[in-house]
Amino acid sequence: MEMDGASSSASGGAAQAILLTSRKPRVFYRFTQQNLPACRPALTPTLIITIFLLTGVVFLPVGLVCLRASESVEELVLRYDTECIPEIYRSNKVAYIKDVSISKKCKLNIKLRNYMKAPVYVYYELDNYYQNHRRYIKSRSDQQLLHGLQQKDISSCKSMESSNGLPIVPCGLISWSLFNDTFAFDVKGGKLNVNRTNISWKSDRDHKFSKNVYPFNFQNDSLIGGGKLDPSIPLSEHEDLIVWMRVSALPKFRKLYGVIEEDLDAGELLTVHLANNYNTYNSGGKKKLVLTTSNWLGSKNNFLGLSYIATGGCNILLAILFALIHVKFPRPHYDTSHLQWNKRGSAR
Amino acid sequence: MILGLCVVRGEMKVILKYSRCLAVCHTVLPEGDGSSDKITYQAASPDEAALVTAAKNFGFFFYRRTPTSIMVREANTEKMGSVHDVTYEILNVLEFNSTRKRQSVVCRCPSGRLILYCKGADTVIYERLAGGNSDIKKITREHLEQFGSSGLRTLCLAYKELSSELYEKWNEKFIQAKSSLRDREKRLDEVAELIENDLVLIGCTAIEDKLQEGVPMCIETLSRAGIKIWVLTGDKMETAINIAYACNLINNAMKQFIISSETDPIREAEDRGDPVEIARVIKDSVKQELDRYLEEAQELLRSPYGPKLSLIIDGKCLMYALDLTLRVSLLKLSLNCSSVVCCRVSPLQKAQVTSLVKKGARKITLSIGDGANDVSMIQAAHVGVGISGLEGMQAVMASDFAIAQFRFLTELLLVHGRWSYLRLCKVITYFFYKNLTFTLTQFWFTFHTGFSGQRYYDDWFQSLYNVIFTALPVIIVGLFDKDVSASISKRYPELYKAGIRNTFFTWKVVAIWAFFSIYQSLIIYYFTTASSRNAHNSSGKIFGLWDVSTMSFTCIVLTVNIRLLMACNSLTRWHHISAWGSILAWFLFIFVYSGIMTPRDRQENEYFVIYVLMSTFYFYFALLLIPIVSLMGDFLYQGIQRLIFPYDYQIVQEIHRHDPEETRRQLLEIGHNLTPDEAASFAVARLPRETSKHTGFAFDSPGFESFFASQAGVFAPHKPWDVVRRASAKSKHRTSKN
Repeated sequence: MEMDGASSSASGGAAQAILLTSRKPRVFYRFTQQNLPACRPALTPTLIITIFLLTGVVFLPVGLVCLRASESVEELVLRYDTECIPEIYRSNKVAYIKDVSISKKCKLNIKLRNYMKAPVYVYYELDNYYQNHRRYIKSRSDQQLLHGLQQKDISSCKSMESSNGLPIVPCGLISWSLFNDTFAFDVKGGKLNVNRTNISWKSDRDHKFSKNVYPFNFQNDSLIGGGKLDPSIPLSEHEDLIVWMRVSALPKFRKLYGVIEEDLDAGELLTVHLANNYNTYNSGGKKKLVLTTSNWLGSKNNFLGLSYIATGGCNILLAILFALIHVKFPRPHYDTSHLQWNKRGSAR
Repeated sequence: MILGLCVVRGEMKVILKYSRCLAVCHTVLPEGDGSSDKITYQAASPDEAALVTAAKNFGFFFYRRTPTSIMVREANTEKMGSVHDVTYEILNVLEFNSTRKRQSVVCRCPSGRLILYCKGADTVIYERLAGGNSDIKKITREHLEQFGSSGLRTLCLAYKELSSELYEKWNEKFIQAKSSLRDREKRLDEVAELIENDLVLIGCTAIEDKLQEGVPMCIETLSRAGIKIWVLTGDKMETAINIAYACNLINNAMKQFIISSETDPIREAEDRGDPVEIARVIKDSVKQELDRYLEEAQELLRSPYGPKLSLIIDGKCLMYALDLTLRVSLLKLSLNCSSVVCCRVSPLQKAQVTSLVKKGARKITLSIGDGANDVSMIQAAHVGVGISGLEGMQAVMASDFAIAQFRFLTELLLVHGRWSYLRLCKVITYFFYKNLTFTLTQFWFTFHTGFSGQRYYDDWFQSLYNVIFTALPVIIVGLFDKDVSASISKRYPELYKAGIRNTFFTWKVVAIWAFFSIYQSLIIYYFTTASSRNAHNSSGKIFGLWDVSTMSFTCIVLTVNIRLLMACNSLTRWHHISAWGSILAWFLFIFVYSGIMTPRDRQENEYFVIYVLMSTFYFYFALLLIPIVSLMGDFLYQGIQRLIFPYDYQIVQEIHRHDPEETRRQLLEIGHNLTPDEAASFAVARLPRETSKHTGFAFDSPGFESFFASQAGVFAPHKPWDVVRRASAKSKHRTSKN
């Protein structure tokens, strides 16, 4: 790093002499004359090796910490979309799920491999479900969620704004397609309590969904998309709706269902009573149930830790490689033989 | 300015005629009162004013002009010390133009005699001389050659006594021609031809047209920078060759190809006077010579240590060489030559030659000139540079850049031109890169939305990305980036060759930027999405689309701004302020934007998003990881490129890495420790330009530099070179390079 003075034209020198008298013009002069002091970083081999080594040395331990945090999380995944359909209906799943007369109750058993410390989070995971489709995302009215029926213009909820001539609260495709599978858990000792409050972000609950707006005319049409809402409970307390309406980024996503606030022992047999109501069979989607613990870095995801470790490792390797190149084929800085005009001889 | 005055046979009468001719035959206007030291002359060309001033110094002081007369205060004509005013009645003025190349005045002397005074180019005058008196012609011819070869501009003076009936007859025709409505110019020329014959030679004048300071040095530097220099001048061939020698354009080691119209066959044809035949003969000989030289040139170029080549061609031949059939061979030959001198060329030909190189050779051309006759050439070239000097402002008005002296061309091209090129390349490629990176993340997202076209980013992010978050830093780079300092740029003119080869803006360069922007967008998109599928804090809550996209956008703003700092060769505080300021601006924006809800019916997607994000550890870990991984590719490339395939400027940077840079103190000292030469040219450069037009001969105004210094409040002692000859500020150089 060096400090670059300025150009050295003779006329510039004298002109500067004139302008040096006061400070303000000098700063302005150096700005307009592009003579500002500058540091000129030169990418020397030493600097390159140092930077690679430094990032490597920092990244490896960070990666290890992240990976360890992620590994310490206990996660159980259970796919239930096929298993919860009786054998006779397996060839025609769509007909089964659409037929309201058939009970959708279903019982599955999971054996816990390891001890799970409370709180244990219950997620449902959908795959191939395009919550990020453009027309789907657009179809909501944030003003209606705040002001209810007072909000007259709900044209943004297009295709699901009213039924039977009355507006729908909450309107739009997103709320219409509310996920409505339910899960209940039994252990040997009896029923496990699943706490379904405080599963949404507080900011959504407090500011985006009003305490004074109640569901109205919801799922009253012939075409029912998903879950129904109790019209006597305000929107801000329908936390499953709030969770559902924070749309996911990718077609494969998890959403929080509830929290089990008891420790689960290793080897314990968990019975899941679920109502398989939600239709993902049209689009060939998958439904999974996820039980997981959590720590300061969230739930299980090795990606961050692994990429830290990989980057750190790569950088250290590159540092060594650069050092080898530098030792083997050094290019001294004072060596002018690499200059193009010295290589080819001056052109005519 | 008058350097030589040739008077044959030092007879008093001839000297009188000579001076009288100078004092009478011109179109100069005097300004100021009639005293000889206060008068200034207004002239179309500085040469003319110089000649009138010369007459003044010889005792023929032209002090007043009326529409019909010229008043001259003649001193010492009859006996020493006598002074009397003489009024010459001007009957006709036959004005100068470039085809006539001469100028005549018909006047009536106080004694009643009618005399035509004529001055003009030697070739034109000699054609029109009366027979006899071969001595004076021969001696004058010799002198002309001498003057020409020492680089002076020459004119011949001649006169003719007219009988009144001859004059009356001619004058009728002249008046007719003058009042004709069609082809007046042509007819005037024809009429003038009738009377401008059988002239008697008086002598010749020679005017030194001094080269500006530092021209040879500048030309040498430019040719080291890979710039080919062509001289296009109206001067005679001898003069032009001399100037070319003086400027290091031609030297004795060079093989010179001369195509001249001054050969015997052509002269013979001209004597016969048939214009069709003249044209045929010249064209044939030009064709022959071009073919012969081209063959020779190719042979010489094949031998590894052959001499450098130079081509010298005069205007008449050039006229035929520029013909469609010969143009190609002219171009081939001249591109093989390291220097080309075209002399006796008209303004139109200058422009033709320039566009020949521009269009035919597809090279970048720059024209530089100071006179009105360079205007067309300046406009024809890619880059036109005007020298603001004695010859008026026309060239400057027509030009893209105006400089005060020829030698500043080094500074203009090698320093500012090269910097501009580097900056432009950087700014363009960077713009391309930053938008590609940003847009590609959106593109990858499209594949995961069922191709529905859902936007990955909030509308405001997209709108403000180019307006606020990445706008200022690239402007700063466009203003301030320097690879090497100005002095080093001039010390290594070869660095300029990178620009000629367009090293920094090839498809390869763009492809590399594009490659890395694809890499970065993939990293940014997939790293954020892959790492955000699960919960990110201990309360198990999940991110939505807008959380993920805000994370991505934060990474992009960081990556793109830091990438710019990595591309800089010099980092001033403005670089840091703008780049880190842009990143800060993004955070300020998102803090405010996430904190408010508008009363309008719009999607409040971003509400609270950044606070939710920043409440997780994940945000900070990702923010450290993703930009670094994205930039690692570029960093690796830069490292390998510099270590193994360094650019020239990088090597020069390294050579001068530990040089004590010229500090501000040293710069100031340079200002005071000029060599006399430098100081003189510095003073010349500082002369006020407004007054320069009016002064002709010598500029006797002592203390100019100290005058300026005292105005600026700095004391500067008087220096010997304060008396600056205006002549030295003048240039006679028009070059065109490719």
